[in-house]
Amino acid sequence: MTSGTRGQGPEPTDAEIEAIVAEAIAAEAALARREATPPSSAIVWWRAQMRARQEAARAADRPITIVHGLAIACAAGLALSLIGSAIAGVRGSSGWLIDIYHSLSLKAPLASLAAVDLTSRWVTLPMTAMLISALVVTIAAYFIYADE
Amino acid sequence: MADVTFVDVRRLQAEADTADVALAMDEDAFRAFYDRTAGALWGYLSRISGDRQVADDLLQESYYRLLKATVPFESEAHRRNYLYRIATNLVRDAKRGTRPLFDVGVEMAEIAAPDSHVDVEGRADVRRAFGRLKPRERALLWLAYAQGSSHSEIADVLGLKTGSIKLLLFRARRKLAARLQP
Repeated sequence: MTSGTRGQGPEPTDAEIEAIVAEAIAAEAALARREATPPSSAIVWWRAQMRARQEAARAADRPITIVHGLAIACAAGLALSLIGSAIAGVRGSSGWLIDIYHSLSLKAPLASLAAVDLTSRWVTLPMTAMLISALVVTIAAYFIYADE
Repeated sequence: MADVTFVDVRRLQAEADTADVALAMDEDAFRAFYDRTAGALWGYLSRISGDRQVADDLLQESYYRLLKATVPFESEAHRRNYLYRIATNLVRDAKRGTRPLFDVGVEMAEIAAPDSHVDVEGRADVRRAFGRLKPRERALLWLAYAQGSSHSEIADVLGLKTGSIKLLLFRARRKLAARLQP
């Protein structure tokens, strides 16, 4: 649009450009006003109310969800500590059984019991599975009765 | 302690309900404000985004965010500018999404629909030229010439410095005029 470079006459002035643009946009704005079909104010207000209530309800539920999460984490921690102490307890009782074995000279049956390696996976895995099952059942029961 | 009547209980219940949702305006004030501004805001949204469906969606969202705002509005103009600022940001966010903005082919068909005696080709050219501007340039020009906003109001809506508006408008005008020339 520089003067003379395109050979199309003099360059329009800023005022002329502004007039062209203002006219084009004013016509477009008039068309937009005719096209506009916004929903009624009553509907928009009602939807806003509903949405605000839903958001408020969600915000109120959030701390409860956090407490549930914390409770589950605490239960899992407790279960792990129980598993650890159970294993240690079984080990201790095996020593006691070995003492009985020595004092009573019950050789054959207790010898086989003492020979059991309690750290072996064949012993620890079923025990762990049982404890985890008990924990899951407890948590499931909590949620079922909590809903009621 | 004074006796509490059923009327008091209902009033307190209504107050509690209102307090739960915590909207920034009461219903009458909102509806009056909406009726004054919704048509113009829809026009702004549709022309800045270039998509009627986007305009419909963002119109509701804009008013909802205005209702949730905790800004102490000094005047009607302040509230309106804030509304346009929300709308501008929503269009900007929508543009970052997957929906394509400014489908000129669809828009041209829509122009012809309402009344056939208008200069359809001319308007299609205007809209096509307008659609090829950057979103910020479209917003600048629309606010200045369709809304009649002042430079400080435009700056407020678009988050720009008031001193830069004059130059930005000058450039946007020249760009649009150049695209409008045959």
